[in-house]
Amino acid sequence: MAQKRNSMVSRRVTLAAVSMTAGIGVWFFLTSVARLIPPAFLPPPQNIVTDFFRILGSPYVGHTLVGHTLVSLQIVLGGFFSALLIGIPLGILMGWFKRIEAIVDPLFQLLRPIPPLAWIPISLLWFGIGMQSKIFVIWLSAFVPCVINSYTGIRLTEPLLVKAALGLGVKRQRDLLREVAIPSALPIILGGVRIGLGSAWMTLVAAELLASDAGLGYMMQMARRALEPSVIILGMLVIGILGALMARGLRALEKRVCPWVKEEEH
Amino acid sequence: MDHFVEKFGEKIYQEKIVLSISSVLGFLFLWYLITDLFGFMPAIVLPSPEKVFFTLYEKILVPVGEEKLLGHIGVSLVRILVGVGIALGLAIPLGVLIGWYEDLDSLASPIIEVLRPIPPIAWIPLAILWFGIGLGSKVFIIAIGVFFPTLINTYIGVKFVDPLLIKAAQALGAKDKDILWEVVVPASVPLIVAGVRIGVGLGMMCLVAAELVAASTGLGYLIMLGGDDLKPELSITGMILIGILGLIADRVILGIERRVIYWKKE
Amino acid sequence: MNEEHKPDKLTAQNVSVMFEKDDTSFLAVDDVSLTIQEGEFVVIVGPSGCGKTTFMNTFAGLVRPAKGKVYMDGEEIHGPSAERGVVFQQFALFPWKTVSENIAFGLKYRGIPKEQRDEIVKKYVQLIKLEGFEKSYPHELSGGMTQRVAIARVYANRPQVLLMDEPFGALDAQTRTIMQEDLSEMFLTEKRTVLFITHSVDEAIYLGDRVVIMTARPGKIKKIIPITRDNLIPDRRQMRYDDVVNLKEFLELKGDLWGLIKAEILEKHIL
Repeated sequence: MAQKRNSMVSRRVTLAAVSMTAGIGVWFFLTSVARLIPPAFLPPPQNIVTDFFRILGSPYVGHTLVGHTLVSLQIVLGGFFSALLIGIPLGILMGWFKRIEAIVDPLFQLLRPIPPLAWIPISLLWFGIGMQSKIFVIWLSAFVPCVINSYTGIRLTEPLLVKAALGLGVKRQRDLLREVAIPSALPIILGGVRIGLGSAWMTLVAAELLASDAGLGYMMQMARRALEPSVIILGMLVIGILGALMARGLRALEKRVCPWVKEEEH
Repeated sequence: MDHFVEKFGEKIYQEKIVLSISSVLGFLFLWYLITDLFGFMPAIVLPSPEKVFFTLYEKILVPVGEEKLLGHIGVSLVRILVGVGIALGLAIPLGVLIGWYEDLDSLASPIIEVLRPIPPIAWIPLAILWFGIGLGSKVFIIAIGVFFPTLINTYIGVKFVDPLLIKAAQALGAKDKDILWEVVVPASVPLIVAGVRIGVGLGMMCLVAAELVAASTGLGYLIMLGGDDLKPELSITGMILIGILGLIADRVILGIERRVIYWKKE
Repeated sequence: MNEEHKPDKLTAQNVSVMFEKDDTSFLAVDDVSLTIQEGEFVVIVGPSGCGKTTFMNTFAGLVRPAKGKVYMDGEEIHGPSAERGVVFQQFALFPWKTVSENIAFGLKYRGIPKEQRDEIVKKYVQLIKLEGFEKSYPHELSGGMTQRVAIARVYANRPQVLLMDEPFGALDAQTRTIMQEDLSEMFLTEKRTVLFITHSVDEAIYLGDRVVIMTARPGKIKKIIPITRDNLIPDRRQMRYDDVVNLKEFLELKGDLWGLIKAEILEKHIL
């Protein structure tokens, strides 16, 4: 049995290796050897590696790769954390107190269908081209999932658990909220946080594409104008890796904060 | 949480409606106050409510850029439909195949895992480099946005079908390929549709992003133009229309979901 | 059996309760009066849907009677309280708390200092025989273990009254027997006032001092059988479940009770 498992795993690994090698091989062939694809369109794989070290060491349109990354991260995290601070409590209050829900919900529903990206031009108009306009839009994009998930999490509190708490002596609304509703909603809230982070990250990239003077998105735009697709691709890879790392970090955090949740696939 | 206050239930319901309506009216009133009555905000920054309304009305007749309002809506619609169509046409079959055949999964996984974390918006500069500013680049971005969530959900749906169903089918004499089409795919439909829903939501965002960055027609373009020309009423019009488009798209998919998953109890 | 007159703990006076579901409401409990004395173990049996849970909920303070009143120690019951602990059929453990934390919940809320809390928790973990599982989460436990924790959680809070709504309903037959024996044992060592609801006639006769049979909906009291007072099954509590169930007296009583209930079911066409 174990033998079969091992051979299955190694088969998987081999095939994966084969496909990656084949992919890179074809890529290399088409760009370097047969020269069917011009470098201005798609660079050969080795160029990507050399350009990586190039922009790592020396500045490209103002900052090195690390510099641009830090600029982007700063803005994302800034907007993201402020969205958490306001969005989660608001969602919780909306979920628990029907009055607050009645007041806030209609406005929220009106604004919700508008993709945060669409706010960028208005944001630029209001805040200028500085960091503020970007932070505002990023804040918006993380804010919505946080509110929605916090609200849903609270609303889904099992009445049975509330009854159990009542029968054990809990009396005040705010104690019920604190002892039962919020812990019960925590996994869902964290899910919303995760979505918010992904959303914020995406919005940042778009904002930087449109109006920025630094950051990964800006770097990619400039590279496009200069017809340097390898830098574009490097930017894409960094963005992808950072996004994946952040998501994984959040998932690890989830596991520590909510140890009682059963594991699901994916 | 009205655990045992059933008598109060009705009172709260009426109160809710009153609160909701007053909050929306309050919001509109505030908006009106700030812009028209007291002139706190110059029209360049925030236009008054009627201005937005009139713009909506006016632009149906007077063209903005190359198209009238309906033309812009139409263009955006076409892009979304084509993008979604291509993405679904590729993602669903592919998802089924790699979910069912282990070897295909091993071959395709590395490439998918590298490309997936890259947010679709990050593809924009590359897409513009490759396809220019026409329909192609927009469709490409939208397709990427819709592709991955649909692919992943289809994959999961197929791969993690309840083994009991498969055993039942085998015990009734069905062969591999029949099982795939007769049992596994129908069983995965709920997950597939969920993936489509997520994908289309993402696709709408990609539409906006692509039209903001590089377009000369479409709703995103309108939003962008409003910002450039210091005509925020144009931007707001675009934003509202995008919001409505998004809502309609979501409702349509929900309707399809209900039709297709008729066997699931609520 | 001692005939000391114990004070009345719980009293229901002409209680009627309306039950609302979706758009309809119907009479679930119809003019029921019942008095439970301190230290008594009263079991309510009856056909499905006869309103037993709803009735118990009036004592729990989770439901307000449309007519009539409920009292504890002579004072009207207005809402839930830690003095009337409830054990639910679906366990209702807090999934985000460990076994120890669940048991300690009521204590922590009342401000009992940590050292004392830990002692009490330890005692009850031992009582329910779950040593070693103090740090486990509910989803890691089996049904029987979970229900034991649910009972311990309420017990540890030392309520004066225990309201148990089909607590063993979701368990398999063997676990159920063990739980019944455990509960009986616990009741011997720490006597509380208990109102217990069940479907099972066996369980009712095994556990109850008095068995109340309810009619089909709307629920009324059909008959009350004073098992302990009339010493209908001597030495019942000291024996094992399997032995009690085969006693001649037990079987006779069971036949009587079951006959009454069956008549309800057939008459009112519940099946």
